[in-house]
Amino acid sequence: MKIRCYIPNILLTILLVFVLLATLLTAFVRTQVLNADSFRTITEQEQLDEKAYKSLETYFKTRANSTGIPAEVFMDAIPQPALKEGINASVAQAFDYLSGKTETYEFTMDFTLLEESVTQFFSDYAAEHNVVKDKVYEEKVASVIAEAEAEILFVADTFKMSMMHEKGWLGSARHYLTYLLFAQAACLIVLGILLILLLLCNLRQMSHMLYWCGTAGLTASLLLLAPCVYVTQTDYFAGFAIKDPQIFAAVVGFLELLVSRAQSMAILVLVISVVCLVLFGIIRAVSGRRGNALEQETE
Amino acid sequence: MAVKKERRTGAHPLVYIITTVLLMILCTAVSAAALIKPYEKVQTYLHIAFMDDMKIKPASGLDGLVIKENEISTQKPAEQEQQFSDTGEIQRPSFGEQYAVLECDAINLSVPVYWGSTPELLERGACQASASKVLGEVGNVVIDAHVNTFFADMHKIAPGDEIVLYTKYGIFTYEAYEQVKFENTDKTHILPKETDHLTLYTCEAQVLGTSTTRVGVLASLVSKQFYVQAQDTITQEAE
Repeated sequence: MKIRCYIPNILLTILLVFVLLATLLTAFVRTQVLNADSFRTITEQEQLDEKAYKSLETYFKTRANSTGIPAEVFMDAIPQPALKEGINASVAQAFDYLSGKTETYEFTMDFTLLEESVTQFFSDYAAEHNVVKDKVYEEKVASVIAEAEAEILFVADTFKMSMMHEKGWLGSARHYLTYLLFAQAACLIVLGILLILLLLCNLRQMSHMLYWCGTAGLTASLLLLAPCVYVTQTDYFAGFAIKDPQIFAAVVGFLELLVSRAQSMAILVLVISVVCLVLFGIIRAVSGRRGNALEQETE
Repeated sequence: MAVKKERRTGAHPLVYIITTVLLMILCTAVSAAALIKPYEKVQTYLHIAFMDDMKIKPASGLDGLVIKENEISTQKPAEQEQQFSDTGEIQRPSFGEQYAVLECDAINLSVPVYWGSTPELLERGACQASASKVLGEVGNVVIDAHVNTFFADMHKIAPGDEIVLYTKYGIFTYEAYEQVKFENTDKTHILPKETDHLTLYTCEAQVLGTSTTRVGVLASLVSKQFYVQAQDTITQEAE
């Protein structure tokens, strides 16, 4: 390895490490983080609908102590599959907004059954206790329905898309999503250029390409792997402060899924890099032996 | 000769290993330096969102809540062989622990009192706000319960009625002096006070639906009677 090749190779490899990291991260954000399928996987994996259903049941049972309205009035009108549809709808509507299909994010669910159930309950109660159906009565029915709808929407929005929209995070993500594609393309172009330059630097000894690429890949994968291993080993996400079962499962499950996928990606790069380095070692050993044999023959 | 020249240019294997290690150290240092500022910015938020001492994975609302039931004697002081003192040691309860029994003969009420207030505890009895004073301490003792269960007849408590709270370490007698009504946003009656007070409150009973109005009973301390020997000690001695 000549010194005039060594320094440019080092510089190119350092650049290659960070460009490779940027390429991996942009690809990861596009395909994993901003992907509705990741959220759907978590909904299935963590059984978010079941957790949300139990949470709603507890809420309405507790409320029954002060409102006198049995929890069944609400729960019978919101079966678990409907809640699951709601959870998926909150994600789908958020991604419609992110991808520009809709201009605003507004999470809604079909509450026809709920409205009918509450109205029926009040009507039966009024008939039984001779309550006059006046303006106050109508307001009471409307406020109970509105309160129940708000709670159901809150519980069904397990990934807190509404909160993220209110905070402006969804808007920012939508804005940067368009640039992300360009960023990924730019990273790929720069990566290509760096590889070509590295190739030009090692034209005489092509096997060295394997070494420099392997070293860059190894470094990038370890830089990516280290934080993943740390959060996995320390169970970092388990300390998530919000302990509502469905929110905790959604957020922590999603973060753990991302970490495990990032870890898999880093391990894949690590394996490829190690293969490159091993190949380089083999080629070098073989060429060394050939060189020795030739030398002996010449002597 | 050409082969000899090529062999001479080939570096020692150690050079490759050292180069790789040095590159790793260099890149790690650059990354760490580049991430220091952003990390400092998000550090506070991260510490709030992910707390080291809160690594509990919840599966239901009961997770993390340890409900402890205690046997507390509700014998009247006159019926007890025990000796009492005006001062004594207060046993601070843990969150979710039943540490008292509230009795009001005027409405035939006897209900366990838990330290802390959660939907799960409210299902079991009355709950004392953990921000209020423990029985025996000087200040406001704030207890609430559901209107359709334990505090259904609370509105029947009239001024002059006696409310007794039994604990393992003493008996605390209060006398109701006022019925109050306030909005759930109004904290006047549940805030700390300089003098001994008992505040009982619940939701206003409505035909149906929720109410933002709270109804309560205010009582002042009549007597503090600490057991000379706490009930725990007596039980241990008997064993």
